[in-house]
Amino acid sequence: MRFQFAGAVAVALALTTGSAEAHHSFAMFDLTREVTVSGTVRQFQWTNPHAYIQLVAKDEQGRDVEWSMEMGAPMYLYARGWRPGSLKNGMRISVTLNPLRNGRPGGVVRDVTGPDGKPIGTNR
Amino acid sequence: MRALLAAAVAAACLATAGSALAQGEPSAAARVEAFAKLPYWPGYWVSEQYANTTIGGTAAPRPPGSPPLQRLNGFNAPWNEEGKARQAEAARTRGGRRADGWGYPMMMDAATPFQVMITPEEVLIVNAYGETRHIYTDGRPMPAAEDMWPTVWGTSIGHWEGDTLVVETVQVQMPYTYFHGAPSFSEEARYIERIRMDGDRLVMEFTVEDPVTLTGPWSATITHLREEAFDRMVQMDFSNDRTGSENGINTIEPPADEGGE
Repeated sequence: MRFQFAGAVAVALALTTGSAEAHHSFAMFDLTREVTVSGTVRQFQWTNPHAYIQLVAKDEQGRDVEWSMEMGAPMYLYARGWRPGSLKNGMRISVTLNPLRNGRPGGVVRDVTGPDGKPIGTNR
Repeated sequence: MRALLAAAVAAACLATAGSALAQGEPSAAARVEAFAKLPYWPGYWVSEQYANTTIGGTAAPRPPGSPPLQRLNGFNAPWNEEGKARQAEAARTRGGRRADGWGYPMMMDAATPFQVMITPEEVLIVNAYGETRHIYTDGRPMPAAEDMWPTVWGTSIGHWEGDTLVVETVQVQMPYTYFHGAPSFSEEARYIERIRMDGDRLVMEFTVEDPVTLTGPWSATITHLREEAFDRMVQMDFSNDRTGSENGINTIEPPADEGGE
């Protein structure tokens, strides 16, 4: 893993993700690994064909690194209890994701935990 | 005298207009009757491939032993040499390519819900990207060749065979040019759909004939389920595709305010 984060937990898991892909191939994501990143929301992009969380987290040297975290389309987020205001700039959250294979700070989101420690939305 | 003549001409014009209206437009009662005979397919339909999509954009795992779902991407179509060449070029350029939307036929097998609005005159299929198909069912023939041109969603004429909607679609712009996961059929392709309800599923049987790219007809059956969690259709444009490419594999481009496109 290229980055390590304060409060972050990296867990290797064999995932049984669905075969259906969004509007592009999921080859860019390592679907065998899950990484949890804690940080501060810089921006929440509620857009088609994907929503994105721009999350700023510390790397192992204590520097700020911005992650690009991809989500499904807003209609699907809405159906799972998400709203455009679910994340606000400056909010502290933890995101579990499948990281990008190329080592860049990004991935596809699996779960998000809010400042109160509770999951946002249902994801079911 | 002149005033009388003008009044007579005006009266004749009104009578003619009224008569034309009566011939061209059904009465309200007749239209209600026509509506009553039509199927009703309410709800927000998603291709079964994308049923129960999570916040990550992938569908939940299907139960073990579930039969494989067919797709409209055309990967298993009987391509001729021209078709194989186009598919090879599509495979070479697909990585990291941005899409403009779903287009036809992929909007019928997409990671986005659609609605089906059935009226006596036409059936409208509308998705969450604002993409709309107009399928005319008022008995008109397919427009003359010189009156059509290739578009992303094509030109569709339909009719009802009992509770099955039969649709013919032609003049579809090569689907791959709009959406990178679509097949590369030519603009001479002819698409036939038979759409019906089967229990709680909306079943669409597709057959495509394309003298330019296929050796023979290609068929696929796509099933759709209702997504119960939507309370309305919210349409948004395809404005933030951040798919990039690096060393032949796609990746996420930086956000626009940090140098991304």
